[in-house]
This record gives sequence, structure tokens and C-alpha cells, in this order.
Amino acid sequence: MTETKRKKSPVFDYFTETEDVFAGGVAWCAGCTLELAARFVPKVLGKDILLVGCPSCSAPVFFGQNRGTWHRMSYFSSLMTGVASNASGISRMFRRMGKDTTVVCFTGDGCGADIGFQPLSGAAERNEHVIYITYDNEGYMNTGYQRSSTTPLGASTSTTPAGKVGHGKPTPSKYVPLLIAMHGAAYAATATLSHLEDFARKLKKAKEKVKDGFVYLHIFAPCVMGWRIDPSASIKVCREAVRTNYYPLWEAENGAVRLTHEVPSPRPVADYLKMVRKFSHLGEADIERIAATVSQRYALLKGLDSLNR
Amino acid sequence: MKAEKGEIKVITGNAAAAHGARLCRPDVATSYPITPMSEVAETLSSFVANGLINTDMVEVEGENSAMNVVAGASLAGGRVFTATSSWGLSYMYDAVQQAAGFRAPIVMVIANRESPGILAVSGGQQDIISVRDAGWLQVIVEEGQEILDTVIMAYRLAEDYDIQLPVMVNYDGFYLSYMATGIEIPRQEDVDAFLAPLKSQPPRQILEPGEALGCGTHGIDVGFVELRYRQCQAMERAGARLDEIDAAFQDYFGRGYGGQIEEYRLDDAEIALVTSGSATGTARVVVDQKRQEGIKVGLVKLRLFRPFPRQKLAAALKGKKAVGVVDRSVGFGWDCGPMYMEVRALTPEIGIVPMLSYIDGLANLDITVPHIERAVDEVWAAAQGKPYQETTWIPLEA
Repeated sequence: MTETKRKKSPVFDYFTETEDVFAGGVAWCAGCTLELAARFVPKVLGKDILLVGCPSCSAPVFFGQNRGTWHRMSYFSSLMTGVASNASGISRMFRRMGKDTTVVCFTGDGCGADIGFQPLSGAAERNEHVIYITYDNEGYMNTGYQRSSTTPLGASTSTTPAGKVGHGKPTPSKYVPLLIAMHGAAYAATATLSHLEDFARKLKKAKEKVKDGFVYLHIFAPCVMGWRIDPSASIKVCREAVRTNYYPLWEAENGAVRLTHEVPSPRPVADYLKMVRKFSHLGEADIERIAATVSQRYALLKGLDSLNR
Repeated sequence: MKAEKGEIKVITGNAAAAHGARLCRPDVATSYPITPMSEVAETLSSFVANGLINTDMVEVEGENSAMNVVAGASLAGGRVFTATSSWGLSYMYDAVQQAAGFRAPIVMVIANRESPGILAVSGGQQDIISVRDAGWLQVIVEEGQEILDTVIMAYRLAEDYDIQLPVMVNYDGFYLSYMATGIEIPRQEDVDAFLAPLKSQPPRQILEPGEALGCGTHGIDVGFVELRYRQCQAMERAGARLDEIDAAFQDYFGRGYGGQIEEYRLDDAEIALVTSGSATGTARVVVDQKRQEGIKVGLVKLRLFRPFPRQKLAAALKGKKAVGVVDRSVGFGWDCGPMYMEVRALTPEIGIVPMLSYIDGLANLDITVPHIERAVDEVWAAAQGKPYQETTWIPLEA
């Protein structure tokens, strides 16, 4: 052992010291961050959780097919409209029966931010004992990269394509994690795959806080196909999103927001945008508008954070 | 063994539904208020608030969640209850279908109301017609006591090991929902005893934490067909099972409703009228009157709508010289009532005789004695070989 060798992060223990609950060769794309999130969640929360999901990019692997599955976890396949409510019913009954199983919803933004948002909001308001994880790939990737309400301003998708007139999506993303935090959820946080220590800590906290009530985790999850990035670059894209404050990392206990990874001197948002080809059509003015929305969102979080210092 | 006499209270149909649910001790119940069933939710909530029942009442933000919460709780092993009406049923439609596919033994009461298409805060059976192919068992009841008793029977049916399908108990909104009558409320210990046989069955499959178990799995190819076939076969078994449960209920509580169908003065009848729900009481009065006039009319109350009681109905109607069916809903694209359409499909068993469809009682318009008299007169005339009109919208011609 040499003195110059960097100290190994304890986060690697999750990969070396836990059982892999997935079969080899699952049907996710190379470089998919949803896959990395899906594999990481049970490593921290434990494999005896009960997962609730719905038709999505996660479904081909999580759903069973007839009697077979590609993983060894209890999984409940809901519809996109029913995830948070099905989970509420399961969690209520488990608690009634004295089972301390953690019920974990795992959906994309098409469900969490859009069609499943109402029941998500209802479950948060009722303070259900459920962990709800949204992996946000900023669009309906499973059906062919259409826009969702978390698709960012200017992104070219198959339903907001850039063209002679179109500049991509005309409105900024709906900031779902803050909306759920403002429900007064027991715990809400953002996380991404480039900052695994932060992600792991938040998952562990989620498992603690779900005893008090509703927990929401919003995972920034680039889609190599839909965003048109190189499969080897997906983690770099995550990291750049954090470094530019495009995707700030924070947590909120009972609505009290705290930034968990402040970036002392953030890089220009353009550095992030140029890595992702769904933004490649954008001109200077478009980029300035996006930078303005990023600054505004960060200022809001910073202000909320300062209330709790 | 017989049940002891219960206390008689003057309560509404909605309250009767809530009492029926209370006596079955559901683990989890939900509901999103909607006219005319809101009182069911309020009454159940008051039972919980006053410690009369240890049920986890979940106040959801919409009907879709009302169904999804009970579906989840049911599959986790609980006994569950919910209630809705009209657009509420429409709004939970995807979850309604899924609950049946899950084989979740949910009991839901529906205070029937007009829907969909034209907003009407008024009674009608269009709501349940719109979900007849959702995979649920559908029972339609006639009066308040039958609401309470049928909720209890519905748990015996839904949770039967050989059935494991959700059940809708339907009663006419605005009529039965709000009408207060004297209703005998069975004693808790007697309802416990009546439901006890469910406990001696093999345990049903539930979501077990820590087990490698997928629920609501993606059915593909023949795997899908196999699941669908089993679902349909369970439904086929439900008719005869309801007859048995009804007979057991009558034996124990002294009140029976005929199971799948109830016949009235049908044996020697030459013509028959088919009704469902609260209109049946009016039809009984008319049958008695017409009998005195020498018109040999009998009555069939269609109690089970899904599965459709084909054998029972065919046997009841076989040999009649003409049949009239009163519907409180419409069958889009068929220019007749939906229940009429299904009775007509029994022609090979019944024989080719005049069949007449009466659409009446839409949007809270009363199905009156003169309306039924008119129907009986026309069906009788058709039986004598007179010309007749197949479909009559009574409110437009009265």
C-alpha cells in the first residue's frame, strides 16, 4: 500500500458486501442511470423492502413476466395512476399486521411528476409511511422520449422537437421535490448518481424518517438515449449538473430545507448543456434563459436554507 | 343455529350500507364523498370516531385513490370497504379493472346515479352499466334491509376461496340512499358467526414482505390467457355461490333475497316482466293489480347482473309468451336498455317470443305504477299477437 493511494469511500462497501438481487443481463440500456439507481436502492435499504412501481423504463426488469422475474424482491406492479395509493394501502395494512416492511415506490417522472402526481400529493399530505422515489429522466423515455412536466426549458424531445420554429420545450420544469417538501413531508431530498455518498446517506435517512411519515426522494437520472449522451458519460453528466447548480442537492425535514452539497463557485450552466445533445440546438439567448431559471431556483433554495441556519 | 333478533332502527339506505360494513369489521376503508353516497363515508367515519369499529379510514384525495388504497390493503391481507357513485366510479375505472385482475376481494357499495356524458345529480343505473365488463361481481338490491344484508353476504362471496373477486353492491341513489325505513341491524356476534366459515378456508395469496413475489405481474402470451381464463372461471362460479350464501343467510337470519334472481308470481304466469333495484317494489304492486284483472303476469327481479344469471333467467322465462324488461339506463348503439339486451340474448333458451324494452326512471324520474301498468298491458297485447314497439322511452311518451 502506498501513501498516495486515495482512501476508498465507504460507499463502495455497498457494492462489495451486499448480495446482488438482480439477474445478470437485465433489459436496461448501457449507461442507464435508472439502472444504477435501481441497483443501489436495495443495497442501502435492504432487499426485504416491498417495491411498488408502474409501467415505465423500470418495468421491463421490475415487473414479473408470468411466473418469472429478473430480481429477488417483493414487487407490486401498479398502474401509473395508482402507485402512491396502492403503496398507502399496503403500508397501512402492513403496519396494522405489525409488519415493519419498508414500502418503497419507485417510478419515473412521468408518474411522479405527472399522471401520478395527485395521489403522490395525497399520500404526502396524509403523511403515509411510504418512501417515494422518483428517478427523473426528464421525460417519458419508455414510450420514446416525449416531454414531461420535468422536461427542462429548451430541451428537444419527440413531442417538443427543435425545428425551424421550435426551440424545444417552451416552459421550465416543474420542481416536484420542493413541492413535496412543502407538503410538510417528514423527509424530502434530491440526489444523483455522481454523489453516491450523499445518495446513500439520504436513503439511510429515508429509512429512519419513514417511521415518522412520508418520505420523498427525487433522483436526477440522465437517459442516454433520450438525452443523446454517450453511454460512458452519464455519471459525468450527473456531476456537471451538480457543479453548475443545474441540479442542486438538498434535503428537507418537515419542510425545512437545507442544502447538502453547496458548490462554492458553480460553473456556467452552458458547460452542462453542451454535454447533452437534447440542448444542442440552443442559441445564446436560449442558454441565458435557462441560466436565469437555474439561478432563480438556486436562489430560492439558498433562501430557504438560510431560514434554517 | 339461528341468529337472535337484532335491534330495529329507522335509518337511510346509506346508513344501512355503513352498518353492513361496520358489522364485517373491515381493516381499511376509504371513500371520497360524492352525492348521493357521502353519508356512507360520514357514517363510517363516525363509527370510527366513536370507537365502534377499529377500521383504518383513509381520507383520500379522489376516487382513483379510494380504489387503489383498498386494493393495496386487500392484497396485503386486509378486509376492505369503499363506496362511490356515478363519476366517482368513472374516475376510478382503471383501478376498478385492475382490482378485478388482482383478484382482490374488495366490497364496494354504489349509490347508483346517472353518468357519464350528461351531468345529472340524479338517480339512474348508467354508472354500473359503464363498468359491467370490468370483471367485478355486480349485485343490485331493492330496499334498505337488503342493502345491509347484501353487504354482509358480499364479503362471504368476495372472500370465498373459489371466487376471490371484488363485489359491487348497488342500490338506487336518491331513492334508497336517502330513504329511511325500519331496518333490523344484526348483532355483531351473529355477523361474526355468519362470516366465520371464511376463516376455515385455505389462506389466500397475499403480499408477503421478504418473499420473492410479484403481484400484478405482466402477463404475456399464454400466461396472460391463463390468468384471464381463471378470472372468468371464478366469475362463472360466483352465481351458484351467491345462491348458496343467500340460502345460508336466510337459514341463519331469517331473511333471503333469492340469490341471483327473485321470482314473483311467475310459475303460472303467461308473460313476465324483468326489473331490478327499487322499481321492483312498484312492479310487485302492479303484478298484483293486473292479476285481479285476469292478466297472468309474473315478475323476475334481476339481482345479480355480473355474472349474468343466464341459466336461472332462462329457466324462469322459458315458456312465457312475451317478456318486458325495464331498464334504468340506456344501451348506446343498441336502441334498447342494456338489461333488455342481455335478456334478449337468451332467446335460444327462452324461445322466439315478443320482447319489449322499457327505458324509464332516468335522471330521478319516478318509475310509477301507471308506467309499469302500461308496460304490462303492452307485453300482454304482444303475447296475444298484437303489433308492438320494441323499445319505448316511457318518460317521452307518458
